[in-house]
Amino acid sequence: MFPKSLRGYVERALARCKDDIQMAASQAVMKEMITKATADGTLYTRDWDVEPLFPLPNADVVKQDSAQTLTPISLLTKLKRSPSRRTKSRWEPIQEEKPAEKPASINHETSKYAGWVNERDRKTLMMNNGSKDNNLTGTRYSSLEHKGANKFTQKPVKRQRLIDSIVAADNGDTSSDSDKEQSLTAYYAGAMALANSPEERKRRESRSKRFEKGQRHGAETNHFKSKSVGSGNLYSRRATAVVLSKNFEDGGSRAVEDFDWDALTVKGTCQEVEKRYLRLTSAPDPATVRPEEVLEKALLMVQNSLKNYLYKCDQLKSIRQDLTVQRIRNHLTVKVYETHARLALEVGDLPEYNQCASQLKSLYAEGIEGCHMEFAAYNLLCVIMHSNNNRDLVSSMSRLSNEAKKDEAVKHALAVRGAVTSGNYVMFFRLYKTAPNLSTCLMDLYVEKMRFKAVSCMSRSYRPTLPVSYVAQVLGFTSNANEGSDEKDSDGLEECVEWLKAHGACFIADNNGEMQLDMKSTSSSLYMPEPEDAVAHGDANLAVNDFLTRTLS
Amino acid sequence: MAYVSMGEAHHRITEYLNRFSDAVSYQDGASLKNLLSLSSNSPSLISLADALAVFHDSNRLFKQSDKFSQLSEIADRELTSNGKLPEKLKAAGSFLMKVFGVLAGKGTKRVGALYVTCQLFKIYFKLGTVHLCRSVIRSIETARIFDFEEFPKRDKVTYMYYTGRLEVFNENFPAADNKLSYALKHCNPQSEANIRMILKYLIPVKLSIGILPKDWLLEKYNLVEYKNVVEALKRGDLRLLRHALQEHEDRFLRSGVYLVLEKLELQVYQRLIKKIYIIQKQKDPNKAHQLKLEIIVKALKWLEMDMDLDEVECIVAILIYKNLVKGYFAHKSKVVVLSKQDPFPKLNGKPVNS
Repeated sequence: MFPKSLRGYVERALARCKDDIQMAASQAVMKEMITKATADGTLYTRDWDVEPLFPLPNADVVKQDSAQTLTPISLLTKLKRSPSRRTKSRWEPIQEEKPAEKPASINHETSKYAGWVNERDRKTLMMNNGSKDNNLTGTRYSSLEHKGANKFTQKPVKRQRLIDSIVAADNGDTSSDSDKEQSLTAYYAGAMALANSPEERKRRESRSKRFEKGQRHGAETNHFKSKSVGSGNLYSRRATAVVLSKNFEDGGSRAVEDFDWDALTVKGTCQEVEKRYLRLTSAPDPATVRPEEVLEKALLMVQNSLKNYLYKCDQLKSIRQDLTVQRIRNHLTVKVYETHARLALEVGDLPEYNQCASQLKSLYAEGIEGCHMEFAAYNLLCVIMHSNNNRDLVSSMSRLSNEAKKDEAVKHALAVRGAVTSGNYVMFFRLYKTAPNLSTCLMDLYVEKMRFKAVSCMSRSYRPTLPVSYVAQVLGFTSNANEGSDEKDSDGLEECVEWLKAHGACFIADNNGEMQLDMKSTSSSLYMPEPEDAVAHGDANLAVNDFLTRTLS
Repeated sequence: MAYVSMGEAHHRITEYLNRFSDAVSYQDGASLKNLLSLSSNSPSLISLADALAVFHDSNRLFKQSDKFSQLSEIADRELTSNGKLPEKLKAAGSFLMKVFGVLAGKGTKRVGALYVTCQLFKIYFKLGTVHLCRSVIRSIETARIFDFEEFPKRDKVTYMYYTGRLEVFNENFPAADNKLSYALKHCNPQSEANIRMILKYLIPVKLSIGILPKDWLLEKYNLVEYKNVVEALKRGDLRLLRHALQEHEDRFLRSGVYLVLEKLELQVYQRLIKKIYIIQKQKDPNKAHQLKLEIIVKALKWLEMDMDLDEVECIVAILIYKNLVKGYFAHKSKVVVLSKQDPFPKLNGKPVNS
């Protein structure tokens, strides 16, 4: 939700704070900045990477010889970059500002650079690591030197790493070696620098309390994960890339935890129950986002609405969007996704169903209550119907808990699985008739295939003929002999005949005039016809016009 | 577990690696053993990679890559117990891919490629990303730079074992049989654990092509979970098969052979019907080739398998379709008419066609 570069900006801003007071003040300043940027829409358009850091509040810092502090910076700039990197560096804006400032505000400047005092140590370390081959010795050196002062805490070290990984990430394809070098040296430098700060213990405490927060950040960090993949093609590089991006994700969520992201989450104010779905292109305007109570009403409205699927889908998508934007992941979210998934199943909108199903999976994993079993059964059926991969099937089956195996819906799905694997069509269509919830819709996807398999099997094993009425009954066109009305049965029978004809079956009338299947000839003439909704590019779901003209419930 | 900061952990690992590399350089076996039995906290992959990169000698590289993946596994376990993502093993996999690439290029080190391949297999199987094996296999089998016979024996055995397992997953039983049998044949007869591993997958394959293991084999290698399965096949006892599958369900699911064993049901049905046929033949040789459906239903009921007429008819149809029973089914009279010659063909090394 927040651009990655903004996080980097926050990182840098906080990194130079020497104590809690400064941090709190910086946070307040940034909060204002971000809210303003959100309001005027520049949140996503401003390049936070080059955005100058605002002056540190409470500019009351150690006197530094400005010359001394400046050279390390320039050296830092040079050393951090291999020649192939872009010339514009993260640190430049500060340097540019410097000459423009009046001498009276020298204090201000030095306060900015106060944070960089520690970087001097970093510089010395880097000078020692002349070549990348010295990596090992370099790290050894640093670790040996600082064995004593090991008050390392997870956060600050990761924070430094975060900075470096941002650097690495944003600078695209550079040799992995120089990345290694950078991250390692910076890592140690950072560790050294922050090891002795007394506030660390305080921060550590507050951080450990944030652990639940870390959980909630889960949704957010996921966004960032995908972003870091995009930038610089990290995943195309090997082990280093994996680690770096992972650190980013990890470090990112924890390092900026102190920064109160919650206060920046949109809190909706819109009271409209009905709202069309519009893909977000910028930060949402609170006036258009509905708060939780309104969303509950909206869900009810959709559930009771008699309008068609497209309308409901649209409404649900916008409800989902409002929930995501406000980072609401609770009972209501589960209900919304379940509703949407069920609707999608009913009309056969599989892509939408899959989306909802995967969201539900992660929601259930967080422990939120919902119809676990129902969806576990759907999940299993999906795997059966769609993948020919035995491995997927076996792993889905092994993942079912003992409790799940006792549930009726799951038992049904498992029985279907057995029937499909062994090709037992009688069992399959019996289960089809007794399918719970919406399992019928999922089984529908396999009905055609199963029927064809059944008829091929029957045509090879039965001789000489087989009554069509039997076929119709066994293949689920008509109901069992005892139940069902005659009218429905005759309809079903006709449907069966149509189906058989479409697949090339050969008929014969017996002495009583009853229609029979001529098994021998059928066995050679049977074929699987082209599906009627076949589209040029092969994916029926993508044929929008088709979809729109299809009769909707 | 004591909370150790990342920095400290990193420091420890670097130290550890330094000692490790020293031990290796000086061929110091004892201290190496000590080092490897140490369980470490989340090691940083990069420093390990560096350490490994320093060593040019391929032998050391192999030893290290082996321990390396083990270390990654330990690391992953630690990570998961800490609630973080077990990414180290995946990273180890990508790193080894890199190593493989290096080995594929250089001339003298080619023989090491298979070893690294096997390590990669181990990792991919553990991770469940089995499809990644395909690319490695392709480079080994099709590239002209590799001559399979050149590789050391134990690598070949390991390689065949894993590729055999892949064939089992894809249900290519003849190929699986070939590969796993090769592995079994060339495996060191002393290493019982390895033989057991190979047999664990070979037995279901053999069962699927109609070859049954002797009891002593199962007992010798402690594979008693298959005992009931074999027994069920011999007797045509469907109830026993289903019971055996249920009893060891978790184990079979985990090793991935569950579906293979389930498919044996058809062979059990075949055996049962054959028994009925034999009994009938004894009573009345002329009419034996006509089997009434209700008798089969009765036999199944006797085994406590409650199936109705339609269902049994379906099973019979499937058996005929898959050539386990030669003949046809007359629907009106509900009779299975068996062929006069060899009505229950043996599988003869070919799996039941699907």
